[in-house]
Amino acid sequence: MTVSAIEVAPDSVSSLLSEVMERSGQNLLACYQCRRCAGACSVGDETGFFTPDRLIRTILIGDRTAALNNELVWKCVSCYTCGIRCPNGIQTGRITETLKKMAKEAHIDSPYPKMVHFHDSFVQSGLRWGRVNETEFMASYELKNSLSLLKQMDFRSVADEISRQIKLALSMLKLRRMHFGFLSAKGRNEIKRLHKQFKNKH
Amino acid sequence: MELAYYPGCSLKQSSSLYDRQMRLVMERLGVTLKELDDWNCCGATSAGKTDDFLSIAMPARNLGIAAGSGQSELVIPCSACYSRTLVAKHYLEADREIKETINLGLSKKIVSDVKVLSILEVLLGLIESGELARQLVFKPKGLRPACYYGCMLTRFPFPVPVPDDVENPRGMERILEAMDLHPLEWNCKTSCCGASSAVTDPEVSYGLMAKIIRDALARGANCLVTTCPMCQMNLDAYQDEVCAKHGISERLPTYFITEIVGVAMGMGIKPLEIDRHFVDGTKLLEELERYESEQ
Repeated sequence: MTVSAIEVAPDSVSSLLSEVMERSGQNLLACYQCRRCAGACSVGDETGFFTPDRLIRTILIGDRTAALNNELVWKCVSCYTCGIRCPNGIQTGRITETLKKMAKEAHIDSPYPKMVHFHDSFVQSGLRWGRVNETEFMASYELKNSLSLLKQMDFRSVADEISRQIKLALSMLKLRRMHFGFLSAKGRNEIKRLHKQFKNKH
Repeated sequence: MELAYYPGCSLKQSSSLYDRQMRLVMERLGVTLKELDDWNCCGATSAGKTDDFLSIAMPARNLGIAAGSGQSELVIPCSACYSRTLVAKHYLEADREIKETINLGLSKKIVSDVKVLSILEVLLGLIESGELARQLVFKPKGLRPACYYGCMLTRFPFPVPVPDDVENPRGMERILEAMDLHPLEWNCKTSCCGASSAVTDPEVSYGLMAKIIRDALARGANCLVTTCPMCQMNLDAYQDEVCAKHGISERLPTYFITEIVGVAMGMGIKPLEIDRHFVDGTKLLEELERYESEQ
């Protein structure tokens, strides 16, 4: 279990809190630390010190460093159970999603890069073609993954990962669940244009 | 009856059996599915985690196409696509500015409100109208299904109106009960299977799946039934590894709801492509069929 202390940083409270509240759409001030969320968390066994209520507390005391990089932010699977149990309707799943984006903008490398590579590859494939091509998206994910593992000279993990995926691919092939055709949506440029426009404005 | 239909990327690829079943079952029940013309990816949970604008804009284009399709209702069998489309609708209704911005860039604009339906809502409607009862030819009474909803059918990042209970949904049970089957009560119907962490962090998701499989087995289930292609893929493709790792010796076929409904309407295992499961789903159904015909 990782035990991380969180530190009170009064100067950064207001900027951190207002950014998270605005982007996540969640009223963090309503949290009174009843910890129902902590009991509900699907990945509670994996996140050490950081339960949803403590993540909220971390933001409320202004500890930006701990808020943007902790086990819960990276391990949260967005199952949204914490949010439906919260008596004040705070959806911490939205807060972790927001912190993931803020961490990326602050160029913080996730200790779990596979998760980041996965979602990036997925959205890129969906945006590029208008529809996600599973084979291409998984290949892009594995490539990003392997590159970052190779940088760390972790050849063993690369080999393990590739052999696991090949095993899955072979059984998918046998069951005709591997798709080789190419999917696309003709109108994909509408979304690309809107996305570019929005990014330029913000 | 006609419905606009959004299959999504999974149903065109690794879960194409679900698309085929959906079409066969709906046709038999007198529902004509009108696939949205040139639909695009909904962004799934990945867009929600990486880009808030895309997570609205991607489903928004599909909502525009649906609005121009002349249909008033849109069925989305994939739980992730269903959830993301409902959530995008919520955003667009709450934020006029973003709706106007997005509409300006769309060739087919969101000009009217199309009701988004899950596959359960459609099937429940067909039970109410009596259509499903008229088509039933076979009751696989020996089936002891544990209905598995997962996350995305009932829990959303924002309060959106959904027709089932958040903690104890019963839509799937009501459908199976209407077919004279006896779904089990169990604890894990809305537990999380780990979704994409089956790929990125297997240890975590295998632990979550083991809990689900264990509880279903302890209640005496002989299969799982689901509507979500992501849950189905996880619990099916990784079940052997999950069970090996967590010391579980039994296996549970993981069916789509369309497979149970289709079989009960006498559609047969081959045409429904039930032979495309990782954990064999054909043997149990064949046994039940034989047993019923001997009765």
